[in-house]
Amino acid sequence: MRAVIAEDLALLRDGLMRLLRDNEIEVVGAVGDGDALVHAVLRERPDIAIVDIRMPPTFRDEGLRAALTLRERVPDTAILIISQYVEGTYARELLADGRGGVGYLLKDRVMDVNAFVEAVRRVAEGGTALDPEVVAHFVGRRDRLAALTPREKEVLALMAEGRSNAGIAEALVLTVGAVEKHVASILQKLGLPPSEETHRRVLAVLAYLDSSA
Amino acid sequence: MTENEAVITLMLFRRTVRASAWVLLLIDLFVLVIWAAGGRGSFWPVWVWLPTGLAIASAWWARKATSRFARQAGEAVLISLFLVGIWAAAGRGSFWPVWPIAVLALVFGLEAVTRRKKSDARVEELTQSRAGAVEAAETQLRRIERDLHDGAQARLVALGMNIGLAEQQLGKDPAKAQEHLAEARKAAGAALQELRDLARGIHPPILADRGLEAAIRALGTNAAVPVSVDVKLDERPPATVETAAYFVAAEGLANALKHAQASRIDIAVHEREDAVVVRVLDDGRGGVSEAGGGLHGLRQRVEALDGSLRIASPDGGPTVIEAVLPCGR
Repeated sequence: MRAVIAEDLALLRDGLMRLLRDNEIEVVGAVGDGDALVHAVLRERPDIAIVDIRMPPTFRDEGLRAALTLRERVPDTAILIISQYVEGTYARELLADGRGGVGYLLKDRVMDVNAFVEAVRRVAEGGTALDPEVVAHFVGRRDRLAALTPREKEVLALMAEGRSNAGIAEALVLTVGAVEKHVASILQKLGLPPSEETHRRVLAVLAYLDSSA
Repeated sequence: MTENEAVITLMLFRRTVRASAWVLLLIDLFVLVIWAAGGRGSFWPVWVWLPTGLAIASAWWARKATSRFARQAGEAVLISLFLVGIWAAAGRGSFWPVWPIAVLALVFGLEAVTRRKKSDARVEELTQSRAGAVEAAETQLRRIERDLHDGAQARLVALGMNIGLAEQQLGKDPAKAQEHLAEARKAAGAALQELRDLARGIHPPILADRGLEAAIRALGTNAAVPVSVDVKLDERPPATVETAAYFVAAEGLANALKHAQASRIDIAVHEREDAVVVRVLDDGRGGVSEAGGGLHGLRQRVEALDGSLRIASPDGGPTVIEAVLPCGR
């Protein structure tokens, strides 16, 4: 797997490169701002771009803007946004085109190396990885989720993070069959047709949450 | 006289005035009775009533008036009425009170105009210094957020990442794991250092613990150029003034060390009336510009406290940065 990293702080850029290389992910580019990211991706055509939101020159959201540009120009390249803060708005913008291959994680998540690498692989393969904090941002505040049981809310949050039914079952110590039942119930309560693909479920859920905002 | 003694004296004075007002009223009544009993000739009690009336009215007004100006203006009006009273009682004739009244009116008219101008200028000054203070606070907060984001927060992420990598490598490659752990320890140390520096930039601990002199001396100890520190304060200024004084010294010193190529720097702090004066002097090449830099922020900080900052830095030096910070005591 080939990756491009965009992170302006050398300390974190070097650390990320080492982390990915240790885990058999080839780093074909490491840049420090949004324009350089777009160029590197267009040149290298990596499987995934791992992008910090706040970069020079304005230190606002240029990483995200560059990522949105890339979503349009090279839809096949997966994008994993990493940041020191999460904003629901940014997640919505990333997910707006309704396709998978996007992730949005707090930088903290790199500490759990295995889980982080797994998220990188999942996103690169067209799945999603949303930080639990992003998910909490959506799920915690919506009145229309009132119909869900506490257990279903848990399942929904894990679904939104990008986990498969097996992953959810493992996290909640349930059988896969029980999770399938919860998922069917959630989708039904939210008025969404059931679907096999993990990221589609997330997108559907987020689209629903977004439209009810 | 201490503040307490002054308050007590004022209270006694007020009580005396209130008591004597009643005495004066009694006297007025008394002379009226005598006049009535004495066959009601020409109405002479008016000569007692006029001065006592003036005394009673001005005592009442002295209590009622909310400012020095109001009290004085009120007294001028009372004196004018008193003079008109004398003129009326003395059989009228040519209206001589017009002259002293005109003088009083002129004096207070002029006073009112200057006061108005002064208060307009003051309003303007306060509006500006308040906007400056808000801007200074905003800039400061942004700087802190940036420092946290790029500094300690990033280092903690790196720390966690290194620990994670070490954890992953522990079974497979212990030497590599050890490398990651060493990196992690370095990142922890660096994060602590960043947080300490940040905290010092907000409010240096030594300033809170030991006061201005020790804090300013600490600033000078690591400088590449000899720094003399002379602090003469009888008592500790209010905390806001103390912090501002510290940052005047810190910013002045940083400025001199960075740009001036000075061979010595003098920092002096002393009291002048009810203000703390901080002066940073260097014998460097001068030509200091205030635009955009730390000195601009410093000016906002000083003016927010109603103080003033003066920067004199001719080309070729020397440079003097002086802040006057009122203590409002």
